[in-house]
Amino acid sequence: MAKIVSQQVYSENKQVEVIMEESPEIVPDSIFKKFFLEVASLTIFTLRFFKEVIKPPYEINELMKQSFLIGYKSLPLVAITGFIIGLVLTIQSRPTLAKFGSESLLPAMVAVSIIREIGPVITALIFAGKVGSGIGAELASMNVTEQIDAMQVSDNNPFKYLVVTRILSATFMLPLLVIFADGVGLMGSFVGVNIKGNVSAYLFFSQIFQSLEFGDLFPAVIKTFFFGFAIGLIATYKGYYSNKGTEGVGKAANSAVVLGSLMVFIIDMIAVQVTSVLQN
Amino acid sequence: MKKKISHKIRLGIFVSLGILIFILAIYFIGEKQQLFRSTFRLSGVFKDVAGLQVGNNVRLSGINVGTIDNVSIISDTSVRVIILVDEHTRKFIKKDAVASIGSEGLMGNKALIISPGTGGKKIIENDDVIATSQPTNIDDILKSLKTTIDNTAGITGDLAKITTNIESGKGTIGRLMMDPTWRQDLQSTIINLKDGSVGFKTFMVKTNELDSILIRLNKTIDNTSSITYDLSKITNNIQSGEGMIGKLLMDQSMGQNLDSTLINLKNSLAEFEIFMKKAQDSWLLGF
Repeated sequence: MAKIVSQQVYSENKQVEVIMEESPEIVPDSIFKKFFLEVASLTIFTLRFFKEVIKPPYEINELMKQSFLIGYKSLPLVAITGFIIGLVLTIQSRPTLAKFGSESLLPAMVAVSIIREIGPVITALIFAGKVGSGIGAELASMNVTEQIDAMQVSDNNPFKYLVVTRILSATFMLPLLVIFADGVGLMGSFVGVNIKGNVSAYLFFSQIFQSLEFGDLFPAVIKTFFFGFAIGLIATYKGYYSNKGTEGVGKAANSAVVLGSLMVFIIDMIAVQVTSVLQN
Repeated sequence: MKKKISHKIRLGIFVSLGILIFILAIYFIGEKQQLFRSTFRLSGVFKDVAGLQVGNNVRLSGINVGTIDNVSIISDTSVRVIILVDEHTRKFIKKDAVASIGSEGLMGNKALIISPGTGGKKIIENDDVIATSQPTNIDDILKSLKTTIDNTAGITGDLAKITTNIESGKGTIGRLMMDPTWRQDLQSTIINLKDGSVGFKTFMVKTNELDSILIRLNKTIDNTSSITYDLSKITNNIQSGEGMIGKLLMDQSMGQNLDSTLINLKNSLAEFEIFMKKAQDSWLLGF
């Protein structure tokens, strides 16, 4: 659990109170205690994020930089994954639909699968792997090398600069990446349909939009904000409060990916329930 | 600094493109649901909507022209369906148009199908209540299908009995199929029939020849009949003493006359012979 202590430091002959944070040092004996301590710590971390995100000053430049690194730099990986998923899903689904003589439903079926579920979840998992591990390792190494402490001492707010910007970037970049992945995935599906058949692009995409409804698109996009937020939050938390030492960096990166991916599935499950309740 | 600006531009393009794709997706999906077109409202009251839902398509002559806006129960026997139809298709829907509930393919969603109505009627107006026809209930189909299946079961049972009988050689067909002697008999019958048909054919050819003989014979008989008729007439005439021969044969006086004529002729011939002899002997006429 994060331990917050107040220290009196002297800067330019002025006495300044700086809030110092230390990584959890109390190692609980029971696994349950450890779990609940972790939950409490994460809750405090989340509340602090909401407090810091509202409070000025805003780190716009760092936010832009992180958005570029997290969003733009992830695009090739996400696009390739999306394309392959669309292609493979189409090729795999074709024989089953052919058994019922309903190959013409292939674009509609693939579109609904990609837009509603596969696109957001696969992209979020890729995102958790690439971005979550990156953020976790970066913040953990900064923690190990005491850069975060140094920022605190030099009157910078490391939480605002390092954590808030990354969580915000992850929250807003993942939906965009999902939209790109969906688009590229549908193109992959178009290629997949045309491997064994001959469907014009116009017919293919008109069939897709015939089968889609706002009820498919909006919940799928909205849940990706939560995916991004969860991945960013867990990655920054794990990196920010990593154990000192090189071992802590690897552990932080690993748990950021594992917990981030798990959170994606948990949020997805909740989102499905909420969507079905709202639609009925 | 330059690098920072380039990163910002690339980020800007990335975000703009993402938002653009999202907006396009919203537009195309909304276009399908007639969100960006002018529409007019119609309603219809059904007894049973058979699973029709809000957002299902409305079809006119097989083309999607609108969507279902609302489905609500108004009483225990009626459900009101509110329909949004594309304004451009209003001119094709007449006052007597009828709405029915169908489905998009065998396993597809339900759809409301509008039949346009007759040409002479007025064009439908906003908030008009359209006439409806009740959908075919799957349960009813299943009930009639069950009766059919029961009947089929009875028929197949009977067929099974018949096949068993045939297999065991019972009955005419069974014997015919399973008993070899019957088969041989049938075969020989067929051969005989074949031969018979060949003979019959030859007979028929001959009959054709006989026909011409008969025709000729018929003619001969006709001729003979007319001859006998004539002969009978002649005989009658003869018998009644009419005509030369009749008189000759039947008239006694005529016979006597003839007889005397012949006597006279005989006498005359004798005298003529004497005359001729004398003439020969004379010097004047002697030759």
